[in-house]
Amino acid sequence: MIKSSELDPNFKYEIANEPGGENIKRCFNCTGCTVGCPVTEIDTGYNPRKILRKALLGMRNEVLTDDSLWLCASCYLCYERCPQDVKITEVMGAIRAIAQRDAKAGKIKITNPKHKFDSLFINSVKSNGKWYEAGVSGMFMFMTKGLGGVIGYAPMGLELFKKGKLSILPHRIKGTKEIQNIFKEIEK
Amino acid sequence: MKLAYYPGCTLHGTAREYDASTKAVSKVAGIELVEIPDWNCCGALEAIFDKELSMGLSARNNMQAQKIGLDLVIPCSICSHNLGRADTAMRTDESFRVKIEKALGNKYKQNGFKIKHLLDVMVNDVGVEALAQKFKKTLKGIKAVPYYGCLLVRPSEISKFDNPENPTSLDNLIKATGAECLPYMQKTKCCGGNLLMSNQDYSFKLTRKLFDEAKARGANCIVVACPMCHMLLDGQQTMIEKAHNTKIDIPILYFTQLIGLAMGLDEKELELDKNMVSPAKLIESIGKEEKKVEIKVEPKVEKEAEAAQ
Repeated sequence: MIKSSELDPNFKYEIANEPGGENIKRCFNCTGCTVGCPVTEIDTGYNPRKILRKALLGMRNEVLTDDSLWLCASCYLCYERCPQDVKITEVMGAIRAIAQRDAKAGKIKITNPKHKFDSLFINSVKSNGKWYEAGVSGMFMFMTKGLGGVIGYAPMGLELFKKGKLSILPHRIKGTKEIQNIFKEIEK
Repeated sequence: MKLAYYPGCTLHGTAREYDASTKAVSKVAGIELVEIPDWNCCGALEAIFDKELSMGLSARNNMQAQKIGLDLVIPCSICSHNLGRADTAMRTDESFRVKIEKALGNKYKQNGFKIKHLLDVMVNDVGVEALAQKFKKTLKGIKAVPYYGCLLVRPSEISKFDNPENPTSLDNLIKATGAECLPYMQKTKCCGGNLLMSNQDYSFKLTRKLFDEAKARGANCIVVACPMCHMLLDGQQTMIEKAHNTKIDIPILYFTQLIGLAMGLDEKELELDKNMVSPAKLIESIGKEEKKVEIKVEPKVEKEAEAAQ
């Protein structure tokens, strides 16, 4: 049951203020996003329409802590088909940004490991200009599945290495200072 | 034709055969590729939801390409989406452009600079007919399904060269090689690449659907134009076989490897030995299958004819 006293009427404006979230208020809940969503096809519990409806109603905590938020595969099918040009894929990104900020501040807990991998990836780009595949993947496996996870992926890593597809060391570009400037400007 | 070339991280790693085959077929097609200096990661699928960061990282690459004064070609669908999205923002969103120009201490060239996916360049700028004239071998025996995936054709506000619901450019290219191009409902469905690390079972289920239809159609290979699609279909194929307790065994070719074969290029030059699922049997079967079928069918027909008499 939805308790109206617990709704946060500002949540939709908070989302609309994030880069990518601008068009959320255009949604009239037609379900076009959910019909044909490839993730919905394999998990009927995943329902982008519900995420948008809950966000518009102001169910802030429920939206931010729901595992569903991390299941969008960024295939842009809903983005393409949405009759209201809500730009759903990017709205998901805007909501994720709010969730990550709340998690960082200790207000909520995110159970899905997706944001951990993304953060490791982005940090490696921040310091090298390119992503460090072996390091990031290995670290992520270790963080989420322990040593067993790393060992489980080792045969594939070895196969890739043998084919000259995996570098042991990270590659660093010359313009790392410029990369860091981009991060600084965006984080302002 | 001279173009700036952005390989992106994967083409210098897990998708090295896409890099090698891109260079090889471009040469034959009359395209000179100039790799842009000191390029960086576009943010890939990991920053795609962090819109400004993804566009900022990508915009630097666009500016690096502008330094050498050439239009930009990109073989990776994720990179071409990210750099294309950044280009649109740099031209239409002034506050964003000011931020990035400040960070990089350089001005963005807003006119006369184009970003295209390699498939777009091959099909529309070089042209299928002009390419076909460079083909030395007909690829009879290959029964392919064309797999476009997501970001190659979507969203259409960034990728404008084909129909986002039912694209045909890759179909046409496959047909031009003499290979059979089978109908494929899954052609623009998602491989689940973005969920590979966080929800592996989901990405495996999504990729499994692509295999199931390809097999049901009688395909003996899947042709792709994106290193992430290839990573799932080719790189993870044995993992999916294990997880789903099934046999798939279907080679996945980059479209550049396919047209390279039609051009009569050396298998080593196309790095066909770097694919995780070996295409050796498929390549051997080129030009041979038709005969085999005839041998099997003919005696039956004769017997039936005799019986009828």
